[in-house]
Amino acid sequence: MSLPKMTRLLSRRPLVSIQQQQLPPSTLVPGRTLIQSEYRRPGKPRDNEPPWQKIKFDLSKGLEGVKKHFTLLKNELTGRWVGPEGKPIIEHMLEQNRVVWEFRGPESLQQWTLSSDREIGGQSEIYMELGRNSTTCLLYGTLCSTPPRDGETRYSGYCTARSKQPLASFDRKKHHDWSSFNCLHLRIRGDGRPWMVNIATETYFSHQKDDIYNYFMYTRGGPYWQDVKIPFSKFFLTHRGRIQDDQHPLWLDKINTIGFTLGDNADGPFQLEIDFIGVCKDYAHTEEFAYEKYKRNPEV
Amino acid sequence: MNPYVLSILLMGLGLGTTVTFASSHWLLAWMGLEMNTLAILPLMAQHHHPRAVEAATKYFLIQSAAAATILFASSTNAWLSGQWDIQHITHPLPTVMITIALSLKLGLAPLHAWLPEVVQGLDLTTGLVLSTWQKLAPFALLLQISPEIPLLITSLGLISMLAGGWGGLNHTQLRKVLAYSSVAHLGWMMVVMQFSTSLTALALLMYVIMTTSAFLTFKLLKSTDMNSLAMSWAKTPSVTALAPMMLLSLGGLPPLSGFLPKWLIIQELTKQELGLVATVAALSALLSLFFYLRVCYCLTFTSSPNNLAGVAPWRLESKQISLPLATSTSLSILLLPISPAILSLTLPLF
Repeated sequence: MSLPKMTRLLSRRPLVSIQQQQLPPSTLVPGRTLIQSEYRRPGKPRDNEPPWQKIKFDLSKGLEGVKKHFTLLKNELTGRWVGPEGKPIIEHMLEQNRVVWEFRGPESLQQWTLSSDREIGGQSEIYMELGRNSTTCLLYGTLCSTPPRDGETRYSGYCTARSKQPLASFDRKKHHDWSSFNCLHLRIRGDGRPWMVNIATETYFSHQKDDIYNYFMYTRGGPYWQDVKIPFSKFFLTHRGRIQDDQHPLWLDKINTIGFTLGDNADGPFQLEIDFIGVCKDYAHTEEFAYEKYKRNPEV
Repeated sequence: MNPYVLSILLMGLGLGTTVTFASSHWLLAWMGLEMNTLAILPLMAQHHHPRAVEAATKYFLIQSAAAATILFASSTNAWLSGQWDIQHITHPLPTVMITIALSLKLGLAPLHAWLPEVVQGLDLTTGLVLSTWQKLAPFALLLQISPEIPLLITSLGLISMLAGGWGGLNHTQLRKVLAYSSVAHLGWMMVVMQFSTSLTALALLMYVIMTTSAFLTFKLLKSTDMNSLAMSWAKTPSVTALAPMMLLSLGGLPPLSGFLPKWLIIQELTKQELGLVATVAALSALLSLFFYLRVCYCLTFTSSPNNLAGVAPWRLESKQISLPLATSTSLSILLLPISPAILSLTLPLF
């Protein structure tokens, strides 16, 4: 009686050959850059300089920094005696409009960060400069939805401008408290393109860092200014651009940044002029949240 | 929430506190505290709002750290003294560690930084449970170990009173104001603990009644900040009239109920020749009184025909049961004239 045939196990050679396969240099990641926050823009040379070598010691810069931070600290401590956010309580309660960003000089542009799909290898461009008479801000550039040739990106074409996080003394994070208001008020002049307004709130977990509340802003073109009032109840929650099933209203007590994104898939130049960005209290707007919160798996 | 799940969680909360009350062994007390922590976490995160989940996470981390410290300290005490009995904790090292851990659990200064953020992320009902029921179990343990470390307890009390008063000064969010109010009231309870546990219990009882009234009032008015509170005259004028009384009672003004514990505590401190502590306590009450008065101002002095501070509310009939609010508000306003009766009832108990 012959013994049953043993099935042959796979030889180790194919496994070994997979391990020895040469990976392209761009996917080889040195150990130091495995931290999530370190992002290297494609095309930029890898920076292997240790952090202590990047510090540039400069006495005048140091003194300026000391003066700036201690002035901010002094204002915070003295403002505390006046009331919340340095204003008397009655002013805080009766405030109906507040201009948060207005563009009256070059320093106002420093509060904004521009970004486009150039960071992932695309060809869109965005620039920001002061408008006529230094009273407005002009966002302009070119949108190009040609995807980068990296073999994995299928869609592209976005440009965005985002405000920087407000900082208190010694670079501590501060937040905008818009709990007295219920509408976002913008005065803009566009070219007919649909933009998206993005509001980012303070989050706790690292996986929430891309949680943003969005709403649309349709510009009408033309020479006339457009007053846009968007109630905060209309903003919906997205994560990395994907609308979430589990929707929540926007809490206004800890707002970090506001941004404007253009991604309408229409290649070509664009322009958006912004006079001011503010918040207002619309007494007639009583809606708390515009969207119903559906259960994802409802019980039948 | 599913009513079965809710009832299990509420029973867990009740059981946890009861187990800690009834325990004489540190491990059983620790178990009761853990049951309390775990039972309230789903209640905190039930709405799944990112801020609620953040509050639940922070609460879990803080309470777990404190519970681990309690476990470590009680084990150290068992190693050093050979026993697990709660009242026989004598070695200073575990005593101090347990006191600090219980202070972290309660939110006593200087370990109070978590409390305002956590209460701010919760809805008002869960915030009420956190501010009242969750304080009982750690307090029961502190009452039993307080004779061993009087100086630490008094210092924690004084710092809490000052931190609670100063910290709550510039907030417009009502939940944060109530959190700092909680810190300040805990300070009052701690400062007299070494001399009279019955006064501490009385102060705790009055605090629970007044805080319950405050949270239920804000829940009825659907207000979480001062601007929406300013429109309460249009929602329920009767509550708008009584709420300032309740807030001033929290501030400790006579002839309201909240004056009773403060008066007796200052009297006891003076009898014990701690005049300076009594003075600092009385002055710190002024800080708290300022922000209570600010809330009263927003509630009452901003009504029509002044400019409105908030949006016009929908006038819907509230489904909230009025008996707890009515009872707690009445008790928080009207108890001072019967203080001899209250003292004769509470003093023999503790």
